[in-house]
Amino acid sequence: MKPLLIAWTLYARWTARYPAVRSIVPFIPVVALWAIVAESDMFPRVFFPGPLEVVRSFGSLMYKGILPDYLEDSLVRLAVGTAAGMALGIPLGVLVGLHARARAMLWPILLFFQAIGDIAWLPILLIWFGFSLTTMTVVIVYTVLFPVVLNTALGVRRVPLDLHRAARSLGASSARVVWEVVLPGALPNIMTGLRNGLGYGWRALIAAEIIVGTSGIGFLMFDARRAGSVVEILLGMIVLGLLWYVVDSWVLAPIERATGQRWGLVTQ
Amino acid sequence: MKSLTLRDLSKTYFDPYAGAHVTAVHDVSLTVQQGEFVSIVGPSGCGKTTLLNMIAGFIPVSGGEILLDGRAVSGPGPERGVVFQSFALFPWKTVLENVAFGPKMRGLAKTECERIAREYLALAGLAQAADRYPNELSGGMQQRVGVVRALANNPEVLLMDEPFASVDAQTRMTLQEELTRIWQERRPTVVFITHDVGEAVFLANRVVVLSKGRVLKELDVPLPRPRAWDLLIEDGAFKALSGQVLQLVRSA
Repeated sequence: MKPLLIAWTLYARWTARYPAVRSIVPFIPVVALWAIVAESDMFPRVFFPGPLEVVRSFGSLMYKGILPDYLEDSLVRLAVGTAAGMALGIPLGVLVGLHARARAMLWPILLFFQAIGDIAWLPILLIWFGFSLTTMTVVIVYTVLFPVVLNTALGVRRVPLDLHRAARSLGASSARVVWEVVLPGALPNIMTGLRNGLGYGWRALIAAEIIVGTSGIGFLMFDARRAGSVVEILLGMIVLGLLWYVVDSWVLAPIERATGQRWGLVTQ
Repeated sequence: MKSLTLRDLSKTYFDPYAGAHVTAVHDVSLTVQQGEFVSIVGPSGCGKTTLLNMIAGFIPVSGGEILLDGRAVSGPGPERGVVFQSFALFPWKTVLENVAFGPKMRGLAKTECERIAREYLALAGLAQAADRYPNELSGGMQQRVGVVRALANNPEVLLMDEPFASVDAQTRMTLQEELTRIWQERRPTVVFITHDVGEAVFLANRVVVLSKGRVLKELDVPLPRPRAWDLLIEDGAFKALSGQVLQLVRSA
């Protein structure tokens, strides 16, 4: 037991000093297992390549400039779609959250369209907009919109009544109450909506790229299938996982730490 | 700060469970003079919080009117500052930003807002806490911020709704003493709602006992100031008055 305990203490001390270690170490056994299975030649190498081959393919695609280009295409599509989805979703969520009549009118419609789901729109969008950027953007905006609207509305309704009253009795107009009280109070929920929306949007984007197929990570993977390159498919999958990790830990988590957690609105 | 007059104020609710109209406040008439400290005391369900919510403009009145310096008021407004039992501080604003909120809404320049906020924070001994967030403060500290946030907006009347009910007993006594000190320095007009008889008598110039939505009795509190618990706790006049109010509340 003792050596294990010492090892764990060292690990804890290390991760405290270099937090990046914490996100890398858990993957070591996963990659090791993958390498062992691949090296054992249990499966033909073409169908089940090892980590080294994927790294080599990563190097070659980076060198040719294909991966950076595709990555940029995917990320720009996701960013534009997400920004548009939030620009529409947050005001709509505030309206639905604050206004009982608007809620009564819009809530059933929101639930109806939420159920139709992102890729279920692809057939009709392909007829309307063809294999175009518009089609992909509409799918992402659609996917991001609903989690943002529903969570924003939830957050808006959870702002305590006394905070509205305090702001009003300190002289705030209705518009100022929205800006100074409702939006910051709903921020933790808006972040949850954004987190869900981004997650769904990212998946919808890959699906859309596979079908619309001109560029992007989804296209890279589907195109690799056509060429029978399992290595590139695996590479695409790893890139997807890594990207989500980066977005979460470099963008979303720091925002949450600086807002809701700092203010004591959500527990850490 | 100007006088506050309530004229035949009533509030009737429709209770969906009872299926009938319920009168929470019944023809309450009351005048609070400029610079006066009035406590409204009564058992729970006597309508005291409903009364305060009407004065604050948070809920509409069913009958009667509220006059501030002769003008009828409706809806919330900055001339009636409110201190809440729940503190109601903005969690996403620092202590300084919370206190500067009223002046900011009045459209004052940023530096002026900050100067006012710092002045009032110093009044409550909170200068050190200016850059902290509310959730980093104890309950007693939070409510000190709540009080000076309302005062910093220079309201004509300060409405306090059981402000010290959710802090511990020792802190409550300190806060009560601080409030009497601040009241003596600034002389705001105060309407203070409480169910605590000792608190009502300790703080006020006048105690109004409310029962079943009506004014049961008004009593003057001629105790000398400054008031401190060490002195008053054994004071004969204080004990007699508190006893009298307690009897009224319990009979209510």
